[in-house]
Amino acid sequence: MARRKRNPKGGGNAGDGDVNLTPMLDVVFILLIFFIVTAQFIKEPGVDISRTDVDNDRRVTPLAILIAIDENSDVYANKTLVEPNEIGFTIKALREDNPKGEIVVQADNNSRAEILVKVMKTIFEIDGINASSVNVSTKQD
Amino acid sequence: MRGRTSRTADEADVDLTPMLDVVFILLIFFIVTSTFVKEMALGIEPPPPPPPPDQITNPTPSIIIEIDHQGLIRVNARVTDITSVRANIERLKAENPQSAVIVQAHPDAKSEVIISIRDQTASAGVSKVNVVLSDVQ
Repeated sequence: MARRKRNPKGGGNAGDGDVNLTPMLDVVFILLIFFIVTAQFIKEPGVDISRTDVDNDRRVTPLAILIAIDENSDVYANKTLVEPNEIGFTIKALREDNPKGEIVVQADNNSRAEILVKVMKTIFEIDGINASSVNVSTKQD
Repeated sequence: MRGRTSRTADEADVDLTPMLDVVFILLIFFIVTSTFVKEMALGIEPPPPPPPPDQITNPTPSIIIEIDHQGLIRVNARVTDITSVRANIERLKAENPQSAVIVQAHPDAKSEVIISIRDQTASAGVSKVNVVLSDVQ
């Protein structure tokens, strides 16, 4: 009887070097599921913009695509400069990664209205009836 | 020999270590890749599609907010300060509740002005404001 018989119910204190991993595994699974559910694979435009502080904004969820217009009215998506005539293609390519969710335009305060309206038109043409409005990013509280 | 037979007979005792390794790798992957992006946004409506020619356009006059290249705001051709856009819209809406609100921005106007006006009109209770570009001669 040099060897102690293992407890089939998994008693942790029975064997030396035999730790009961079940509670830790439970915690790890819960963390894993939490991070899987909350994971958003969003490609950020990667430019700093100055935003307007407004009263009637709302939080955008689920968020899918970010398009930025910087102060020189250049359009950025996924950390790269987008040519004005390629905005539609870029949005369509980003849509393949995130079929659901909303598009947010991050327009700098000093960007030109022409570019903003053009980008909005493009988004509206792609999303069609699903988009009654285009979200324009505003200052956070 | 005795210990070995008792181990195989024990069906409730599975070796969890490889699965735990995989789960940990997945966990670390999702922790590293997760970005909690929070965006506050205001909805702005793009120009409406042109109506079919046989359809009669709505007879009620629209409220037109003009923005020129310097950022000067005109509500129905009257020069207005940005802070009084809301009061003007509320007054015009009271006269004509059916009228649509249209922002006509000069291509060189700043986005800030459009966003501020959309905020003011939302405060005035207008749910839909179409933004169009004005023609430049």
